[in-house]
Amino acid sequence: MKPLITVLIILQFLIYNLSCSAIRATTNTIEESISSLFKSPRKLQDKITDPYRPDARLSVLWVGHATALIQIEDKMILTDPVFTTTVGQFSKRYVEPGIDPQDLPELDAVLISHMHIEHLSPASLDMFESKIKSLLIPAGGLVYIPNYDFEINELQKWQTWEKDGLIITAVPTSHNGWRYGLDDAWMKTSYTGYVIEYKSIKVYFGGDTGYNNTFFKETGKRFPEIDLALLPIAPIHPREYSWKRHADPKSAIRISRELGAKRLMPIHYDTFPESIDTLGEATATLKAEMDKENLTSDQVAILSIGEQRIFIYRNQEQTNL
Amino acid sequence: MNRFGTALYPSLIIIVMFIVFFVSALDAQSVDTNQWNINDVTQPQKSFREPDVFPSTLWIATQLIPSPQVISVQNEGLKFSLRWQVTPVLYSFGINRKLSPWRLLVAEPLVRQNGSIEIFLTPEWLNLTEKFKTNWLFRSGIRAYVPLYRRGEYLSGSLATSYYNYNGEQGVSYEAGIYLFFGILGFQATYSPNMKSSPWIFTLRLRYF
Repeated sequence: MKPLITVLIILQFLIYNLSCSAIRATTNTIEESISSLFKSPRKLQDKITDPYRPDARLSVLWVGHATALIQIEDKMILTDPVFTTTVGQFSKRYVEPGIDPQDLPELDAVLISHMHIEHLSPASLDMFESKIKSLLIPAGGLVYIPNYDFEINELQKWQTWEKDGLIITAVPTSHNGWRYGLDDAWMKTSYTGYVIEYKSIKVYFGGDTGYNNTFFKETGKRFPEIDLALLPIAPIHPREYSWKRHADPKSAIRISRELGAKRLMPIHYDTFPESIDTLGEATATLKAEMDKENLTSDQVAILSIGEQRIFIYRNQEQTNL
Repeated sequence: MNRFGTALYPSLIIIVMFIVFFVSALDAQSVDTNQWNINDVTQPQKSFREPDVFPSTLWIATQLIPSPQVISVQNEGLKFSLRWQVTPVLYSFGINRKLSPWRLLVAEPLVRQNGSIEIFLTPEWLNLTEKFKTNWLFRSGIRAYVPLYRRGEYLSGSLATSYYNYNGEQGVSYEAGIYLFFGILGFQATYSPNMKSSPWIFTLRLRYF
């Protein structure tokens, strides 16, 4: 059984890298699949060039996929930074990054959730190396982080890093830690989620995770009153294979509830081709789930790539939504 | 210059490079890793975790996949042949300085393609004679990888020199290679000046770890 799972993982790695051409051909035309390789990413108009918001206690700018620039008061945190046009050489992004790397501010912490090519991109870190103060990675992940001048910290589950009041804790997720497929045999610990705490604000970053019936309840218990949870909502298909590793919109809402998060912001969709999901399917499914669950757009904040949202203003009292 | 002398000079150059990288890496490893403030909730961890790289069953299976190659044979044109590769030892100067740069047999793509030097052994089936037994060439050598783009994951190059034995005929070979897609796909050109029957070998290198 184990070799079979590893073969599936390798296939998944190849699918990531070959733009899912073969699979997407089942839903799209062959012409569309081939032409996507030659299309430029969609340009964004009026991109934000100064993302620091003096009026914000908590704001997030969605850069695309799992890359989000989080501002908590005067601290800036960037998650899973990927700014390259392609990941894995052949998988091209649909939309350009929501902010240009040269417009990034000084980053107090950069978080890497796991080693997959659309989450850990050394080429992207090269683009703004001088702006990074600290890089946090899951335990065992350093082997895929080349030499840099900034400080690098490996965190085990429930381990906490602290600097100037900014507290970041590695929390469990349901995913895997390989980068190339075959390394699944020994990369057993290099995936994580994070809880970021600063001046009584708490943000959960899930990176890429499937549902698990203990991890999120336990995280919620240890970190009550999470203000915002950034959670993946795709790939949705094929569910029978990916449910353990990838949350769909329905499980993202469930995870958010078990975390006790006041708000959910979906990530990890419509940026790179990575499954048989169609563009827009994840958000459409999420909106349908929101209707079913009577969730408002304040409780589930769907941002466009490049959009920045202030969740808590400096002069605003925290509210339980 | 005899055959041994021909092999000696490029080998010496690479060995000197190897020593330089080794000494510089030893120096770099003395960097203090205890520079951050970790308030550990579970158990103390002041150093980084070494990956437990090992030759898994699937890894062994992937190493059995040969790389196809064509050889230019005098008066006969091009012939199809096969090559396998084993890396007994690899020293990576592209891996993070806080981790061991040594790999035995198994080397991760970033560890190899982001800059490394390896000793390699290569059995090749040349398809030059009618007898299966007399078609085998064995070579051992040293190869240096350099990253060219995106830390070598997108594009890297290599230079190598090796010594071969083909049915008692021995000589030196020189090789240049270029690699894409995490080093999984590559192209190598091998030139053996003393191998009169087939001095050029062009290999489509398929290698996964």
